[in-house]
Amino acid sequence: MYKGTGASAGIGIGRAVIVEEKELVIKRETVTDPAAEIQRFKGALEVSMQQTEALAEDLGKRVGEKEAEILKGHIMLLSDPMLVGEIETNIQNEGINAEYAIESVCTMYADMFASMGDELMQQRATDMRDIKTRMQKVLLGVASVDIAALPAGSVIVAKDLTPSMTAGINPDNVTGIVTELGGRTSHSAILARALEIPAVVALGGILEQVKDGDMVVLDGTDGVVIVDPEEAVLSEYQTKREAFLKEKKDLEQYIGKPSITKDGVQVELVGNIGKPEDVDKVLQYDGEGVGLFRTEFLFMDRDAMPTEEEQFEAYRKVAVALDGKPVIIRTLDIGGDKEIPYMGLEKDENPFLGYRAVRFCLDRKDDVYRPQLRALLRASAYGNIKIMVPLVTCIEEYRQVKALVHEIMAELDREGIAYNKNIQLGIMVETAAASLIADIFAKEVDFFSIGTNDLTQYTMSVDRGNDKVSYLYSTFNPAVLRSIKRIITCAREAGIMVGMCGEAASDPMMIPLLLAFGLNEFSMSPSAILRARKMVTQYSTQELQAVADKAMSFATTAEVENYMKEFVNQ
Amino acid sequence: MVSEKVVIKNPSGLHLRPAGLLCKEAIKYKSSINFRFQSTTANAKSVLSVLGACIKSGNELEFICEGEDEKEALAAMIKLVNEGLGE
Repeated sequence: MYKGTGASAGIGIGRAVIVEEKELVIKRETVTDPAAEIQRFKGALEVSMQQTEALAEDLGKRVGEKEAEILKGHIMLLSDPMLVGEIETNIQNEGINAEYAIESVCTMYADMFASMGDELMQQRATDMRDIKTRMQKVLLGVASVDIAALPAGSVIVAKDLTPSMTAGINPDNVTGIVTELGGRTSHSAILARALEIPAVVALGGILEQVKDGDMVVLDGTDGVVIVDPEEAVLSEYQTKREAFLKEKKDLEQYIGKPSITKDGVQVELVGNIGKPEDVDKVLQYDGEGVGLFRTEFLFMDRDAMPTEEEQFEAYRKVAVALDGKPVIIRTLDIGGDKEIPYMGLEKDENPFLGYRAVRFCLDRKDDVYRPQLRALLRASAYGNIKIMVPLVTCIEEYRQVKALVHEIMAELDREGIAYNKNIQLGIMVETAAASLIADIFAKEVDFFSIGTNDLTQYTMSVDRGNDKVSYLYSTFNPAVLRSIKRIITCAREAGIMVGMCGEAASDPMMIPLLLAFGLNEFSMSPSAILRARKMVTQYSTQELQAVADKAMSFATTAEVENYMKEFVNQ
Repeated sequence: MVSEKVVIKNPSGLHLRPAGLLCKEAIKYKSSINFRFQSTTANAKSVLSVLGACIKSGNELEFICEGEDEKEALAAMIKLVNEGLGE
């Protein structure tokens, strides 16, 4: 068994087809007529562009415009004046053959991109090598590997798949893809997901372990690859594959259906997102809004604070895309676990108990919090934005944020800038303190969202990243369950909305309890939404009361977990 | 010669797609269009040159245009960057 990175979900079973580009032999040769050689290069360039355009058009039609974009990028690179100019100069000045000039210029750029370090730039290095090979093949008259003609039931095994290779993949014949290189965001991974072909990438050395024709099983969810599986393993994966396909089909019928229990209780099933682009996933899985939009991405991996304008654009984009559906945006949740030099954040001895989130933001009103809140308020004119404050422990913090919001509203009024005057301002309930005074908070805030990951960590005083103590980390611990139940009850008594945006909100064993407690909104990774909807529609909250009472009567985590497991599986 | 400073606003900085958009616009003008960032100068008409400058969101660039339509070229570059380069 080999373990790589799962890049496209599903089980693939089939015969290995090793896809290898023959290494082209590029020799340095001197030419007597550089001008004629430049013409030869120009001809090859022209043909390469036509080939790429044809591939892009085909891929755009078969898969989607977004997937064809990388090939359109190749056309841009091929038509770059600097690249073309340098190759021509090289041929002219050195009096060498076009193949070699292409080799040295393209390799130089590929190495430059590869040395820049980030994943997107690595992709540009792959692009440069891809266009280099394409032009050289035209010059040498070498045909490309024809992936389009693979027999049914093939599992492609390759070092890496270049965009020109992946463009020809036929999902009817290819049941899986395994590559030595790449990552979740590499082109082959994106294409595999778009074509819904299971894929495992970044599995170094796999080419030495597998031969053409070997039976290969792969699990694109866990990143597992098995070569020549035993009969029992093979049939286990066949069962898994059927279950995966069946569940996928089964869940698709919940698209467009209401999230309503058998006894008529309507809940909201919404998505967690980290970047504006993630909205596509929420819509694809029919999410009813966004329950948690983390704003940290705007502040990471950069040298300067994002401007109000830049933040406004990001928030507005999401609000517009959701078209009136609720979007809960969490203000900056950052602290001493991350070093962000431009923010003056330093390593903290105890980052999760230290200077972070709302504590940090309220201390840095002028340069951090005010621009973010102003951007949020301005964006609220374009959709149903709600503002959520993280890591609140006492009511004074909430009151300070609220006062600041009102100050900014008055400022916007004076400037004649539009915003939603009735915008909701809520809190993330994720500390033991906030849970204990949830009744006090419920009288003043507009909504609650329970952050179970932190709530569990703070309630149990346990770092789940620490293997020696992580056994204590469970949302099913009676202390955590009591905390959750109390928060929901306080919100319901005060008549405010209460949601949950931690991993527990999509846990099949937790959903029945949350429905019984009266949770209004469940926010989760978008791909979990349809499964949650299926569960919601199968339960009656009234019938679940007895289950919840029983679960709450146990003294230990294990008893609760066993009981819920049994209940869900019956 | 005309020049103006501008801050890159779109989240992914000058990666392939935004860089491509910038170049596509730049080649419409006869003037030379370069930008300066710290110690590097890049040719806005070459996607490779733009990518090579490794510009991230939040970086401040100075566009420098020179030629018969330099004013129009500069205005177009600044507008495109301020609009977020299609992101």
